[in-house]
Amino acid sequence: MKPTARWIPYFLVAPAFAIFTLAILGPIIATFGLSLTDWDGFSTPSFIGLENFVRAFNDKVYTSSYGHAAIYIVATLVLEVLVGLILAGLVSAKRNTTFYRVAFFTPVMLPLVVISVLWSFLLNPDLGILNRILDQVGLESWKHIWLGDQSTALLSISVISGWIFAGFYMAIFYAGFQRIPSTIIESARLDGASELQLLRQIKIPMIKNLTEVAVLLCVTGGIQVFDLVYVLTNGGPYDTTQVPTTYLVRVVFRDQQMGYGSALAVILTLVVVGFGLIYNKLRTKDDSVVEY
Amino acid sequence: MKRNPIFHIAMSLYSLIYFVPLLWMALSSLKSNQEITMDPLSLPTAWDFSVFAEAFSAGGLGKYAINSAIVTGISMSGVLLFGSMAAFAFTRLKFRFSKQILALITLGLILPLQSYFIAQNALFDYLGIKDTRLALILPYTAMGLPLAIWLFRAYIQNLPKEIFEAARVDGAGDLRVYQTILLPMLKPGIATVAVFTALSAWNEFLLALVYIQNDDLKTIPTGLLTFSTRYSTNYHLLFAALTIVTVPMIILYVIFNRKVIEGLTEGAVK
Repeated sequence: MKPTARWIPYFLVAPAFAIFTLAILGPIIATFGLSLTDWDGFSTPSFIGLENFVRAFNDKVYTSSYGHAAIYIVATLVLEVLVGLILAGLVSAKRNTTFYRVAFFTPVMLPLVVISVLWSFLLNPDLGILNRILDQVGLESWKHIWLGDQSTALLSISVISGWIFAGFYMAIFYAGFQRIPSTIIESARLDGASELQLLRQIKIPMIKNLTEVAVLLCVTGGIQVFDLVYVLTNGGPYDTTQVPTTYLVRVVFRDQQMGYGSALAVILTLVVVGFGLIYNKLRTKDDSVVEY
Repeated sequence: MKRNPIFHIAMSLYSLIYFVPLLWMALSSLKSNQEITMDPLSLPTAWDFSVFAEAFSAGGLGKYAINSAIVTGISMSGVLLFGSMAAFAFTRLKFRFSKQILALITLGLILPLQSYFIAQNALFDYLGIKDTRLALILPYTAMGLPLAIWLFRAYIQNLPKEIFEAARVDGAGDLRVYQTILLPMLKPGIATVAVFTALSAWNEFLLALVYIQNDDLKTIPTGLLTFSTRYSTNYHLLFAALTIVTVPMIILYVIFNRKVIEGLTEGAVK
Protein backbone atom coordinates (compact mmCIF):
# COMPACT_ATOMS: atom_id res chain seq x y z
CA MET A 1 0.00 0.00 0.00
CA LYS A 2 1.02 3.60 -0.41
CA PRO A 3 1.62 5.17 3.01
CA THR A 4 -0.89 7.75 4.21
CA ALA A 5 1.96 10.24 4.53
CA ARG A 6 5.35 10.08 2.86
CA TRP A 7 7.42 10.35 6.02
CA ILE A 8 5.67 7.52 7.86
CA PRO A 9 7.62 4.50 6.53
CA TYR A 10 10.95 6.26 7.12
CA PHE A 11 9.86 7.17 10.61
CA LEU A 12 8.96 3.51 11.26
CA VAL A 13 12.22 2.11 9.88
CA ALA A 14 14.60 4.80 11.17
CA PRO A 15 15.20 3.61 14.77
CA ALA A 16 15.92 0.00 13.74
CA PHE A 17 18.14 1.05 10.87
CA ALA A 18 20.02 3.64 12.95
CA ILE A 19 20.81 1.21 15.77
CA PHE A 20 21.75 -1.53 13.31
CA THR A 21 24.04 0.79 11.35
CA LEU A 22 25.74 2.21 14.42
CA ALA A 23 26.33 -1.08 16.22
CA ILE A 24 26.77 -3.60 13.39
CA LEU A 25 26.93 -2.30 9.82
CA GLY A 26 29.43 0.49 10.46
CA PRO A 27 31.71 -1.71 12.58
CA ILE A 28 31.67 -4.48 9.92
CA ILE A 29 32.90 -2.05 7.28
CA ALA A 30 35.45 -0.61 9.71
CA THR A 31 36.70 -4.10 10.64
CA PHE A 32 37.32 -4.90 6.99
CA GLY A 33 39.22 -1.61 6.70
CA LEU A 34 41.25 -2.25 9.86
CA SER A 35 42.27 -5.67 8.56
CA LEU A 36 44.54 -3.88 6.08
CA THR A 37 46.36 -1.96 8.80
CA ASP A 38 48.81 -2.40 11.62
CA TRP A 39 47.14 -0.98 14.72
CA ASP A 40 47.66 -1.35 18.47
CA GLY A 41 44.36 0.30 19.37
CA PHE A 42 45.88 3.64 20.44
CA SER A 43 48.20 5.14 17.83
CA THR A 44 47.21 5.92 14.24
CA PRO A 45 46.63 2.78 12.16
CA SER A 46 49.20 2.38 9.37
CA PHE A 47 48.19 0.81 6.06
CA ILE A 48 50.07 -2.40 5.29
CA GLY A 49 47.94 -3.95 2.54
CA LEU A 50 47.41 -7.69 2.74
CA GLU A 51 50.32 -8.36 5.07
CA ASN A 52 48.02 -9.43 7.93
CA PHE A 53 46.42 -12.07 5.72
CA VAL A 54 49.78 -13.45 4.62
CA ARG A 55 50.75 -13.62 8.28
CA ALA A 56 47.49 -15.40 9.18
CA PHE A 57 48.07 -18.17 6.66
CA ASN A 58 51.54 -18.74 8.08
CA ASP A 59 50.36 -18.59 11.68
CA LYS A 60 50.40 -22.24 12.80
CA VAL A 61 48.23 -21.58 15.85
CA TYR A 62 45.61 -19.92 13.69
CA THR A 63 45.54 -22.50 10.91
CA SER A 64 45.41 -25.34 13.41
CA SER A 65 42.52 -23.60 15.20
CA TYR A 66 40.43 -24.36 12.12
CA GLY A 67 41.50 -27.99 12.38
CA HIS A 68 40.25 -28.07 15.97
CA ALA A 69 37.01 -26.40 14.92
CA ALA A 70 36.64 -29.04 12.17
CA ILE A 71 37.05 -31.89 14.67
CA TYR A 72 34.59 -30.19 17.00
CA ILE A 73 32.10 -29.77 14.14
CA VAL A 74 32.32 -33.41 13.05
CA ALA A 75 31.92 -34.53 16.65
CA THR A 76 28.95 -32.25 17.28
CA LEU A 77 27.26 -33.26 14.03
CA VAL A 78 27.07 -36.72 15.58
CA LEU A 79 26.57 -35.74 19.23
CA GLU A 80 24.05 -32.96 18.58
CA VAL A 81 22.33 -33.42 15.21
CA LEU A 82 22.34 -37.21 14.94
CA VAL A 83 21.57 -37.77 18.62
CA GLY A 84 18.90 -35.07 18.34
CA LEU A 85 17.36 -36.88 15.39
CA ILE A 86 17.34 -40.20 17.25
CA LEU A 87 15.79 -38.57 20.32
CA ALA A 88 13.15 -36.89 18.15
CA GLY A 89 12.36 -40.25 16.56
CA LEU A 90 11.98 -41.81 19.99
CA VAL A 91 9.80 -39.13 21.54
CA SER A 92 7.57 -38.87 18.48
CA ALA A 93 6.96 -42.62 18.32
CA LYS A 94 5.02 -42.73 21.57
CA ARG A 95 2.46 -40.66 23.41
CA ASN A 96 3.07 -38.88 26.74
CA THR A 97 6.63 -37.87 26.05
CA THR A 98 6.35 -34.20 27.05
CA PHE A 99 8.37 -34.88 30.16
CA TYR A 100 11.37 -36.15 28.19
CA ARG A 101 11.18 -33.38 25.64
CA VAL A 102 11.15 -30.72 28.34
CA ALA A 103 13.99 -32.43 30.22
CA PHE A 104 16.26 -32.86 27.21
CA PHE A 105 15.83 -29.24 26.18
CA THR A 106 16.67 -27.78 29.62
CA PRO A 107 20.40 -27.03 29.06
CA VAL A 108 19.66 -25.14 25.84
CA MET A 109 18.20 -22.15 27.63
CA LEU A 110 20.74 -21.92 30.45
CA PRO A 111 23.75 -19.56 30.10
CA LEU A 112 26.66 -21.41 28.46
CA VAL A 113 29.05 -19.90 30.98
CA VAL A 114 27.10 -21.36 33.86
CA ILE A 115 26.97 -24.79 32.24
CA SER A 116 30.67 -24.62 31.46
CA VAL A 117 31.54 -23.84 35.07
CA LEU A 118 29.31 -26.71 36.22
CA TRP A 119 30.97 -29.14 33.81
CA SER A 120 34.45 -28.04 34.79
CA PHE A 121 33.48 -29.32 38.23
CA LEU A 122 31.88 -32.52 36.99
CA LEU A 123 35.13 -33.32 35.14
CA ASN A 124 37.44 -32.00 37.86
CA PRO A 125 39.99 -34.72 38.69
CA ASP A 126 39.71 -34.16 42.47
CA LEU A 127 36.11 -33.44 43.27
CA GLY A 128 34.31 -34.23 40.03
CA ILE A 129 31.87 -37.09 39.96
CA LEU A 130 32.90 -38.60 36.63
CA ASN A 131 36.28 -39.89 37.81
CA ARG A 132 34.72 -40.90 41.13
CA ILE A 133 32.05 -42.95 39.38
CA LEU A 134 34.68 -44.63 37.19
CA ASP A 135 36.52 -45.51 40.42
CA GLN A 136 33.44 -47.04 41.97
CA VAL A 137 32.59 -49.24 39.01
CA GLY A 138 36.14 -50.50 38.68
CA LEU A 139 37.23 -48.57 35.62
CA GLU A 140 40.16 -46.72 37.26
CA SER A 141 42.18 -46.98 34.08
CA TRP A 142 39.61 -44.85 32.25
CA LYS A 143 40.19 -41.92 34.59
CA HIS A 144 41.58 -38.78 33.02
CA ILE A 145 42.30 -35.16 33.76
CA TRP A 146 39.64 -34.66 31.11
CA LEU A 147 40.13 -30.99 30.32
CA GLY A 148 43.85 -30.85 31.07
CA ASP A 149 44.94 -33.77 28.92
CA GLN A 150 45.75 -33.05 25.28
CA SER A 151 44.18 -36.30 24.11
CA THR A 152 40.81 -35.73 25.80
CA ALA A 153 40.28 -31.96 26.11
CA LEU A 154 38.73 -31.25 22.72
CA LEU A 155 36.63 -34.39 22.83
CA SER A 156 35.37 -33.51 26.32
CA ILE A 157 34.28 -30.08 25.09
CA SER A 158 32.45 -31.74 22.19
CA VAL A 159 30.64 -34.14 24.52
CA ILE A 160 29.57 -31.27 26.79
CA SER A 161 28.35 -29.42 23.71
CA GLY A 162 26.35 -32.52 22.78
CA TRP A 163 24.85 -32.63 26.27
CA ILE A 164 23.68 -29.05 25.81
CA PHE A 165 22.46 -28.97 22.21
CA ALA A 166 21.15 -32.47 21.38
CA GLY A 167 17.86 -31.37 22.92
CA PHE A 168 17.79 -28.29 20.71
CA TYR A 169 18.00 -30.34 17.51
CA MET A 170 15.53 -32.82 18.95
CA ALA A 171 13.02 -29.97 19.36
CA ILE A 172 13.53 -28.83 15.76
CA PHE A 173 13.09 -32.34 14.35
CA TYR A 174 10.20 -33.14 16.66
CA ALA A 175 8.32 -30.04 15.49
CA GLY A 176 8.94 -31.19 11.92
CA PHE A 177 7.64 -34.69 12.62
CA GLN A 178 4.50 -33.23 14.18
CA ARG A 179 3.73 -31.37 10.97
CA ILE A 180 3.65 -34.48 8.82
CA PRO A 181 -0.03 -35.11 8.06
CA SER A 182 -1.27 -37.85 10.38
CA THR A 183 -3.10 -39.57 7.49
CA ILE A 184 0.27 -40.49 5.97
CA ILE A 185 1.53 -41.93 9.23
CA GLU A 186 -1.72 -43.77 9.97
CA SER A 187 -1.95 -45.38 6.55
CA ALA A 188 1.66 -46.53 6.77
CA ARG A 189 0.86 -48.07 10.16
CA LEU A 190 -2.16 -49.83 8.69
CA ASP A 191 0.11 -51.26 6.02
CA GLY A 192 2.07 -52.82 8.85
CA ALA A 193 5.10 -50.52 8.93
CA SER A 194 7.10 -50.72 12.15
CA GLU A 195 8.01 -47.53 14.03
CA LEU A 196 11.60 -47.84 12.78
CA GLN A 197 10.53 -48.24 9.15
CA LEU A 198 8.17 -45.33 9.59
CA LEU A 199 11.01 -43.19 10.87
CA ARG A 200 13.53 -44.16 8.20
CA GLN A 201 11.28 -44.30 5.18
CA ILE A 202 8.68 -41.62 5.85
CA LYS A 203 9.46 -39.25 8.69
CA ILE A 204 13.13 -38.52 8.02
CA PRO A 205 12.77 -38.08 4.23
CA MET A 206 9.87 -35.70 4.84
CA ILE A 207 11.88 -33.37 7.03
CA LYS A 208 14.86 -33.26 4.70
CA ASN A 209 14.81 -29.46 4.66
CA LEU A 210 15.03 -29.32 8.42
CA THR A 211 17.98 -31.70 8.57
CA GLU A 212 19.78 -29.47 6.08
CA VAL A 213 19.06 -26.40 8.19
CA ALA A 214 20.24 -28.29 11.28
CA VAL A 215 23.52 -29.26 9.63
CA LEU A 216 24.08 -25.66 8.54
CA LEU A 217 23.34 -24.37 12.04
CA CYS A 218 25.67 -26.93 13.57
CA VAL A 219 28.51 -26.15 11.13
CA THR A 220 28.29 -22.34 11.27
CA GLY A 221 27.68 -22.44 15.02
CA GLY A 222 30.65 -24.78 15.43
CA ILE A 223 33.07 -22.41 13.70
CA GLN A 224 31.94 -19.67 16.07
CA VAL A 225 32.10 -21.71 19.28
CA PHE A 226 33.47 -19.48 22.03
CA ASP A 227 31.86 -19.51 25.49
CA LEU A 228 32.38 -23.22 26.13
CA VAL A 229 36.02 -23.28 25.07
CA TYR A 230 36.88 -20.00 26.76
CA VAL A 231 35.59 -21.12 30.14
CA LEU A 232 36.58 -24.80 30.01
CA THR A 233 40.13 -24.63 28.61
CA ASN A 234 40.72 -21.17 27.10
CA GLY A 235 42.51 -22.88 24.21
CA GLY A 236 44.79 -25.03 26.34
CA PRO A 237 46.48 -27.38 27.01
CA TYR A 238 49.25 -26.19 24.63
CA ASP A 239 46.75 -24.65 22.18
CA THR A 240 45.18 -28.06 21.47
CA THR A 241 41.68 -26.67 21.94
CA GLN A 242 42.41 -23.26 20.42
CA VAL A 243 39.53 -22.41 18.08
CA PRO A 244 39.31 -19.37 15.74
CA THR A 245 37.29 -17.27 18.19
CA THR A 246 39.37 -17.88 21.31
CA TYR A 247 42.55 -17.14 19.36
CA LEU A 248 40.96 -14.00 17.93
CA VAL A 249 40.08 -12.72 21.39
CA ARG A 250 43.63 -13.46 22.56
CA VAL A 251 45.20 -11.57 19.66
CA VAL A 252 42.93 -8.58 20.07
CA PHE A 253 42.55 -8.19 23.80
CA ARG A 254 45.69 -9.74 25.25
CA ASP A 255 48.22 -8.93 22.52
CA GLN A 256 46.51 -5.64 21.52
CA GLN A 257 46.92 -6.40 17.80
CA MET A 258 43.75 -4.86 16.43
CA GLY A 259 44.85 -4.88 12.79
CA TYR A 260 45.91 -8.51 12.77
CA GLY A 261 42.85 -9.47 14.80
CA SER A 262 40.61 -7.74 12.26
CA ALA A 263 42.20 -9.79 9.47
CA LEU A 264 41.48 -12.98 11.45
CA ALA A 265 37.90 -11.75 11.94
CA VAL A 266 37.52 -11.12 8.20
CA ILE A 267 38.75 -14.64 7.38
CA LEU A 268 36.31 -16.11 9.89
CA THR A 269 33.48 -14.02 8.44
CA LEU A 270 34.28 -15.20 4.90
CA VAL A 271 34.33 -18.83 6.04
CA VAL A 272 30.92 -18.50 7.74
CA VAL A 273 29.38 -16.66 4.79
CA GLY A 274 30.97 -19.22 2.43
CA PHE A 275 29.21 -22.07 4.22
CA GLY A 276 25.95 -20.13 3.98
CA LEU A 277 26.36 -19.70 0.23
CA ILE A 278 27.29 -23.36 -0.33
CA TYR A 279 24.19 -24.31 1.63
CA ASN A 280 22.01 -22.07 -0.52
CA LYS A 281 23.42 -23.67 -3.68
CA LEU A 282 22.90 -27.22 -2.49
CA ARG A 283 19.53 -26.70 -0.88
CA THR A 284 16.82 -28.95 -2.21
CA LYS A 285 13.86 -27.08 -3.60
CA ASP A 286 11.39 -29.91 -3.27
CA ASP A 287 7.78 -29.04 -2.51
CA SER A 288 6.87 -32.41 -1.05
CA VAL A 289 8.95 -31.81 2.07
CA VAL A 290 7.38 -30.31 5.15
CA GLU A 291 8.41 -26.74 5.82
CA TYR A 292 9.03 -25.83 9.41
CA MET B 1 -0.14 -47.78 19.96
CA LYS B 2 0.55 -50.11 22.82
CA ARG B 3 2.02 -49.00 26.11
CA ASN B 4 5.61 -49.96 26.39
CA PRO B 5 7.27 -50.01 29.83
CA ILE B 6 10.71 -50.75 28.37
CA PHE B 7 10.52 -47.54 26.36
CA HIS B 8 9.77 -45.46 29.44
CA ILE B 9 12.40 -47.17 31.57
CA ALA B 10 15.06 -46.59 28.90
CA MET B 11 14.07 -42.97 28.40
CA SER B 12 14.01 -42.31 32.15
CA LEU B 13 17.49 -43.76 32.48
CA TYR B 14 18.67 -41.54 29.66
CA SER B 15 17.07 -38.52 31.38
CA LEU B 16 19.45 -39.13 34.28
CA ILE B 17 22.26 -37.74 32.12
CA TYR B 18 20.45 -34.41 32.43
CA PHE B 19 19.25 -34.67 36.00
CA VAL B 20 22.33 -36.00 37.78
CA PRO B 21 24.64 -33.02 37.00
CA LEU B 22 21.99 -30.48 38.01
CA LEU B 23 21.02 -32.41 41.12
CA TRP B 24 24.66 -32.87 42.10
CA MET B 25 25.16 -29.12 41.74
CA ALA B 26 22.21 -28.29 43.97
CA LEU B 27 23.07 -30.89 46.62
CA SER B 28 26.76 -29.99 46.69
CA SER B 29 25.92 -26.42 47.65
CA LEU B 30 24.47 -27.79 50.89
CA LYS B 31 27.64 -29.69 51.76
CA SER B 32 30.75 -28.36 53.48
CA ASN B 33 33.90 -27.85 51.40
CA GLN B 34 35.48 -30.77 53.20
CA GLU B 35 32.57 -33.07 52.38
CA ILE B 36 32.72 -32.00 48.73
CA THR B 37 36.40 -32.81 48.33
CA MET B 38 36.39 -35.96 50.49
CA ASP B 39 33.37 -37.62 48.95
CA PRO B 40 31.83 -35.90 45.94
CA LEU B 41 29.08 -38.51 45.71
CA SER B 42 27.79 -38.31 49.27
CA LEU B 43 24.57 -36.58 50.27
CA PRO B 44 24.64 -33.47 52.43
CA THR B 45 24.63 -34.23 56.16
CA ALA B 46 23.12 -30.96 57.36
CA TRP B 47 20.55 -29.01 55.38
CA ASP B 48 21.94 -25.53 55.81
CA PHE B 49 20.36 -23.09 53.39
CA SER B 50 22.20 -19.99 54.66
CA VAL B 51 24.83 -20.55 51.97
CA PHE B 52 22.39 -19.18 49.39
CA ALA B 53 21.99 -15.90 51.28
CA GLU B 54 25.76 -15.68 51.54
CA ALA B 55 26.29 -16.22 47.82
CA PHE B 56 23.58 -13.71 47.05
CA SER B 57 24.93 -10.85 49.15
CA ALA B 58 28.66 -11.45 49.70
CA GLY B 59 29.26 -12.72 46.18
CA GLY B 60 27.29 -9.92 44.55
CA LEU B 61 24.92 -12.25 42.71
CA GLY B 62 21.98 -9.98 43.43
CA LYS B 63 23.81 -7.11 41.78
CA TYR B 64 24.62 -9.17 38.69
CA ALA B 65 21.02 -10.33 38.42
CA ILE B 66 19.72 -6.75 38.55
CA ASN B 67 22.19 -5.70 35.84
CA SER B 68 21.13 -8.62 33.65
CA ALA B 69 17.47 -7.73 34.18
CA ILE B 70 18.00 -4.07 33.23
CA VAL B 71 20.11 -4.82 30.15
CA THR B 72 17.82 -7.62 29.00
CA GLY B 73 14.62 -5.67 29.65
CA ILE B 74 15.68 -2.58 27.72
CA SER B 75 17.21 -4.53 24.81
CA MET B 76 14.15 -6.72 24.50
CA SER B 77 11.74 -3.75 24.57
CA GLY B 78 13.83 -2.01 21.93
CA VAL B 79 13.86 -5.06 19.67
CA LEU B 80 10.09 -5.59 20.02
CA LEU B 81 9.15 -1.95 19.43
CA PHE B 82 11.61 -1.00 16.68
CA GLY B 83 11.47 -4.44 15.09
CA SER B 84 7.68 -4.47 14.78
CA MET B 85 7.63 -0.87 13.50
CA ALA B 86 10.18 -1.63 10.78
CA ALA B 87 8.58 -4.97 9.87
CA PHE B 88 5.20 -3.23 9.42
CA ALA B 89 6.74 -0.68 7.06
CA PHE B 90 8.70 -3.29 5.09
CA THR B 91 5.69 -5.57 4.69
CA ARG B 92 2.71 -3.25 4.22
CA LEU B 93 3.99 0.10 2.96
CA LYS B 94 5.64 1.07 -0.31
CA PHE B 95 8.60 3.42 -0.06
CA ARG B 96 11.88 4.14 -1.81
CA PHE B 97 14.94 2.07 -0.83
CA SER B 98 12.82 -0.33 1.22
CA LYS B 99 14.37 -3.36 -0.55
CA GLN B 100 17.92 -2.08 -0.12
CA ILE B 101 17.48 -1.24 3.57
CA LEU B 102 15.90 -4.62 4.24
CA ALA B 103 18.75 -6.38 2.42
CA LEU B 104 21.33 -4.60 4.57
CA ILE B 105 19.53 -5.51 7.77
CA THR B 106 19.23 -9.11 6.56
CA LEU B 107 23.05 -9.27 6.47
CA GLY B 108 22.82 -9.28 10.25
CA LEU B 109 21.21 -12.72 10.11
CA ILE B 110 24.29 -14.36 8.60
CA LEU B 111 27.24 -12.40 9.88
CA PRO B 112 28.92 -13.63 13.04
CA LEU B 113 29.55 -11.39 16.04
CA GLN B 114 33.28 -11.66 15.35
CA SER B 115 32.89 -9.79 12.07
CA TYR B 116 32.20 -6.52 13.84
CA PHE B 117 33.12 -6.60 17.50
CA ILE B 118 36.71 -5.34 17.09
CA ALA B 119 35.66 -2.10 15.42
CA GLN B 120 32.61 -1.91 17.66
CA ASN B 121 34.93 -2.04 20.63
CA ALA B 122 37.04 0.79 19.18
CA LEU B 123 33.89 2.80 18.46
CA PHE B 124 32.56 2.38 22.00
CA ASP B 125 35.98 3.34 23.33
CA TYR B 126 35.84 6.49 21.23
CA LEU B 127 32.29 7.30 22.34
CA GLY B 128 33.29 6.67 25.93
CA ILE B 129 30.44 4.25 26.58
CA LYS B 130 32.48 1.19 27.56
CA ASP B 131 31.77 0.25 31.15
CA THR B 132 28.24 1.57 30.87
CA ARG B 133 25.07 -0.47 30.36
CA LEU B 134 24.60 1.20 27.00
CA ALA B 135 27.65 -0.72 25.70
CA LEU B 136 25.60 -3.91 26.05
CA ILE B 137 22.10 -2.59 25.35
CA LEU B 138 23.10 -1.11 22.00
CA PRO B 139 24.65 -4.26 20.47
CA TYR B 140 22.07 -6.61 22.01
CA THR B 141 19.27 -4.55 20.48
CA ALA B 142 21.07 -4.38 17.13
CA MET B 143 21.74 -8.14 17.16
CA GLY B 144 18.11 -8.96 17.91
CA LEU B 145 16.61 -6.70 15.26
CA PRO B 146 17.38 -8.62 12.02
CA LEU B 147 15.78 -11.84 13.23
CA ALA B 148 12.89 -9.97 14.84
CA ILE B 149 12.15 -8.11 11.62
CA TRP B 150 12.25 -11.36 9.64
CA LEU B 151 9.92 -13.20 11.99
CA PHE B 152 7.51 -10.27 12.28
CA ARG B 153 7.43 -9.97 8.48
CA ALA B 154 6.44 -13.61 8.18
CA TYR B 155 3.67 -13.09 10.75
CA ILE B 156 2.37 -9.92 9.09
CA GLN B 157 2.38 -11.55 5.65
CA ASN B 158 0.07 -14.21 7.06
CA LEU B 159 -2.46 -11.64 8.29
CA PRO B 160 -5.26 -10.95 5.77
CA LYS B 161 -4.57 -7.81 3.73
CA GLU B 162 -8.21 -6.75 3.91
CA ILE B 163 -7.95 -5.83 7.58
CA PHE B 164 -5.41 -3.15 6.81
CA GLU B 165 -7.34 -1.92 3.80
CA ALA B 166 -10.59 -1.72 5.77
CA ALA B 167 -8.93 0.37 8.45
CA ARG B 168 -7.62 2.65 5.73
CA VAL B 169 -11.14 3.09 4.36
CA ASP B 170 -12.31 4.01 7.86
CA GLY B 171 -9.84 6.86 7.73
CA ALA B 172 -7.13 5.54 10.01
CA GLY B 173 -3.56 6.73 9.36
CA ASP B 174 -0.70 4.21 9.16
CA LEU B 175 0.56 4.93 12.67
CA ARG B 176 -2.92 4.32 14.07
CA VAL B 177 -3.18 1.08 12.11
CA TYR B 178 0.16 -0.04 13.52
CA GLN B 179 -0.93 0.77 17.06
CA THR B 180 -4.52 -0.37 17.18
CA ILE B 181 -4.65 -3.18 14.62
CA LEU B 182 -1.23 -4.62 13.98
CA LEU B 183 0.20 -4.79 17.50
CA PRO B 184 -2.73 -6.72 19.03
CA MET B 185 -2.73 -9.18 16.13
CA LEU B 186 1.01 -9.67 16.38
CA LYS B 187 0.88 -11.02 19.95
CA PRO B 188 1.97 -14.63 19.24
CA GLY B 189 4.87 -13.33 17.17
CA ILE B 190 5.82 -10.90 19.91
CA ALA B 191 5.96 -13.73 22.45
CA THR B 192 8.32 -15.76 20.22
CA VAL B 193 10.61 -12.82 19.54
CA ALA B 194 10.57 -11.82 23.21
CA VAL B 195 11.73 -15.28 24.28
CA PHE B 196 14.71 -15.51 22.01
CA THR B 197 15.85 -11.89 22.43
CA ALA B 198 15.51 -12.07 26.19
CA LEU B 199 17.37 -15.37 26.47
CA SER B 200 20.18 -14.38 24.12
CA ALA B 201 20.70 -11.07 25.93
CA TRP B 202 20.51 -12.77 29.35
CA ASN B 203 23.08 -15.40 28.34
CA GLU B 204 25.44 -13.32 26.15
CA PHE B 205 29.05 -13.61 27.20
CA LEU B 206 31.69 -12.38 24.72
CA LEU B 207 30.65 -8.71 24.49
CA ALA B 208 29.92 -8.55 28.19
CA LEU B 209 33.42 -9.88 28.83
CA VAL B 210 35.05 -7.28 26.58
CA TYR B 211 32.98 -4.17 27.36
CA ILE B 212 32.35 -4.36 31.09
CA GLN B 213 35.23 -4.34 33.58
CA ASN B 214 33.40 -2.54 36.40
CA ASP B 215 32.17 -5.25 38.77
CA ASP B 216 29.07 -3.21 39.65
CA LEU B 217 27.82 -3.39 36.07
CA LYS B 218 28.57 -7.02 35.23
CA THR B 219 25.79 -9.29 34.06
CA ILE B 220 25.23 -12.86 35.23
CA PRO B 221 27.57 -14.73 32.82
CA THR B 222 30.61 -12.51 33.40
CA GLY B 223 29.67 -11.92 37.02
CA LEU B 224 29.54 -15.64 37.65
CA LEU B 225 32.95 -16.07 36.05
CA THR B 226 34.37 -13.38 38.34
CA PHE B 227 32.68 -15.09 41.25
CA SER B 228 34.22 -18.43 40.29
CA THR B 229 37.76 -17.03 40.18
CA ARG B 230 37.31 -15.07 43.40
CA TYR B 231 35.94 -18.05 45.32
CA SER B 232 37.74 -20.74 43.32
CA THR B 233 38.27 -22.98 46.34
CA ASN B 234 35.10 -22.14 48.25
CA TYR B 235 33.25 -24.93 46.50
CA HIS B 236 29.95 -24.93 48.31
CA LEU B 237 29.56 -21.19 47.81
CA LEU B 238 30.27 -21.66 44.10
CA PHE B 239 27.77 -24.47 43.80
CA ALA B 240 25.25 -22.27 45.60
CA ALA B 241 25.86 -19.51 43.06
CA LEU B 242 25.37 -21.91 40.15
CA THR B 243 22.18 -23.16 41.76
CA ILE B 244 20.82 -19.66 42.33
CA VAL B 245 21.42 -18.76 38.70
CA THR B 246 19.94 -21.92 37.19
CA VAL B 247 17.00 -22.84 39.41
CA PRO B 248 14.82 -19.77 38.74
CA MET B 249 15.46 -20.16 35.01
CA ILE B 250 14.50 -23.82 35.14
CA ILE B 251 11.30 -23.03 37.04
CA LEU B 252 10.30 -20.36 34.51
CA TYR B 253 11.21 -22.75 31.73
CA VAL B 254 9.09 -25.57 33.10
CA ILE B 255 6.09 -23.22 33.39
CA PHE B 256 6.51 -21.72 29.90
CA ASN B 257 8.23 -24.68 28.26
CA ARG B 258 6.16 -24.62 25.08
CA LYS B 259 6.81 -20.94 24.42
CA VAL B 260 10.50 -21.23 25.27
CA ILE B 261 11.12 -24.23 23.02
CA GLU B 262 9.10 -22.64 20.23
CA GLY B 263 10.85 -19.29 20.60
CA LEU B 264 14.35 -20.72 20.52
CA THR B 265 13.82 -23.20 17.68
CA GLU B 266 11.80 -20.90 15.44
CA GLY B 267 14.33 -18.15 15.99
CA ALA B 268 17.11 -20.44 14.80
CA VAL B 269 15.40 -22.17 11.90
CA LYS B 270 14.01 -19.09 10.17
